[in-house]
Amino acid sequence: MASTTTELKVSAFLAYKFIAKGNRGTSALTILIMALAFVNLMFTTSVFDGMGDATEKQVIDTLYSNIVIEPKDDEVYIKNPDSVVKKIIHVPGVIGTSAQYVTGATIAYEERSGAWSIRAVDPDDERTVSLVPDMMIAGEYLSKYDRGEIIIGKEIAGGHGGSLEHISLGGVVVGDTVEVTFTNGVRREYRVKGIFDTNFIQSNQLAYVTEKELESVLGIHDMASQILVKTDTKGEEGRFLNQFVELGVHEDIKPWTVYAGIVATLTQSFSVLNTLTGAIGFFVAGVTIFIVIYVSTVSKRRQMGILRAIGIKESIIIRSYIFQAVFYAMCGCIAGLVIMFAILVPYFIKHPMVFPMGNVTLLIEQKAAIVRSVGLIISAAIAGFLPSWRAVRETILDAIWGD
Amino acid sequence: MMKRDGQDTIIATRNLSRTYVMGNMQVTALNQVTIDIRRGEFAAIMGKSGSGKSTLLHQLGLLDTPTEGEIMIDGVDISRLSESEQTRFRLEKFGYVFQEYAILPELTALENVYLPAMALGLSQDECVTKGVDALEKVGLAERADHRPRALSGGEQQRVAIARALINKPKILFADEPTANLDSASSKQILELFRALNRDIGQTVLMVTHELEDADIVDRVIWLADGEVVEREG
Repeated sequence: MASTTTELKVSAFLAYKFIAKGNRGTSALTILIMALAFVNLMFTTSVFDGMGDATEKQVIDTLYSNIVIEPKDDEVYIKNPDSVVKKIIHVPGVIGTSAQYVTGATIAYEERSGAWSIRAVDPDDERTVSLVPDMMIAGEYLSKYDRGEIIIGKEIAGGHGGSLEHISLGGVVVGDTVEVTFTNGVRREYRVKGIFDTNFIQSNQLAYVTEKELESVLGIHDMASQILVKTDTKGEEGRFLNQFVELGVHEDIKPWTVYAGIVATLTQSFSVLNTLTGAIGFFVAGVTIFIVIYVSTVSKRRQMGILRAIGIKESIIIRSYIFQAVFYAMCGCIAGLVIMFAILVPYFIKHPMVFPMGNVTLLIEQKAAIVRSVGLIISAAIAGFLPSWRAVRETILDAIWGD
Repeated sequence: MMKRDGQDTIIATRNLSRTYVMGNMQVTALNQVTIDIRRGEFAAIMGKSGSGKSTLLHQLGLLDTPTEGEIMIDGVDISRLSESEQTRFRLEKFGYVFQEYAILPELTALENVYLPAMALGLSQDECVTKGVDALEKVGLAERADHRPRALSGGEQQRVAIARALINKPKILFADEPTANLDSASSKQILELFRALNRDIGQTVLMVTHELEDADIVDRVIWLADGEVVEREG
């Protein structure tokens, strides 16, 4: 035990001296290479995580909120949605609800038309579960007593550089009148009160009217196709689901993830890509570190021979190189995180990447950073071990006086 | 303890040979060398270039493994030692001075000197005390905190000698220690060896090709073509 402590002490002493009193330029370059290897490992993951996060946020903020309550399987509408809302509204963590109708309709403007989904909402309630009211790019959002007015997403309106311009209405502006034909055959004209852009292709294909407006079209009252529930946290939907059931909600209660097929597909694809790029990244980082440490070790071959000649154990020498490599890797990880947090993250917040799921910034997950840091440090330890182990395998005379 | 002629023998070799294989050729660097070195002796190994001087020193210093023959050092048959035991043996019983000033550029003079003591498990305070003592012996105590690049060649070689002395070795091996030094520094190093041998009874075995060095040592072991050819005192 005492001998192990002594060995560790001498290894640490040598590693410290080699780093502190060695060539500073070499040390700085080694740390820079490690930092870039770390950034290379983190960047793609952060983009994928950012895309996943952006998509999840969009689905929650502009489509389904956190929890969706739907009619039981054999029913079309939830009857008396207020009674359901009253049961859950006081559950700690529930911060908003919006009972709404959802129906299909054909919207036409001049020569162009298309089939889209229309949601009928109480605008005040909708503000508590959705960010769409804050994303108007023209006109205004609905008011509680609006009749004969509609707001539409930019993919329906057209003329705003959307991805589905070819099937849009071709450039509807606020104040224009569109003709809406509902699934029950009722046809009405609506004045476009506002156009919204959520940066999310799915929610940009929705149109909204007031609840009262649609009730007059469908000839029903006090019902809902779905109730969206906003909670103060993401990821704890299961807990709320159980609480709602305990409070006597007998409708179908589902978390947002059930509706977010696109997220599941994306997450799955990202996960595969992440694993692939991660494995390649680790390999490249490992080889890079190996080369850097190898070159450093080869140049110290004679020094290692001298140390062995004067009786310093091989394990002490190997460990001192492992310590150096681990130190460089740790500094590299820290420098890499600084590059990520101080340069890349702020840059992409200012200049986000535009994807169909919205504006994507880098998302650095703590777990991903830890896994990659640990991976890099282990790679460095192996890269420190192998060349020094090889170097101490040769004879002392070859190490000191060999070619 | 091996005794020979009533003297206390610290190194004894019997029929020591070292052959190198170079491609298809076998080169015999040492051939059936049998020598004894007494405890407290200051001996030199001399001979022409390629005579096997350094090869013999490397075998005795456990830096290389002989092809055949025996080496007894301080009563121990070193062929029975494992690699790690040989490393420990070198640390505890040997001190080395190489032709090149083989000290670490990243360490100060004092740190270079006390590194072997540290590897023996001595505390930092003990290391520093012994290191300063060793540097005083070679007249460099005032340069303890200097890095090698701030020292002259002669001073670096004296640091190497202080390092060799730190663990109070049984034998001090020196492989052409003055080959890279000017005459004044060379004289200083040789006088230092002589003083260590005289004052503390340090056994010194030195390889040299300088004929005048023969005057300062107790005995010269002459080698030619890997064989001991003559012994002179």
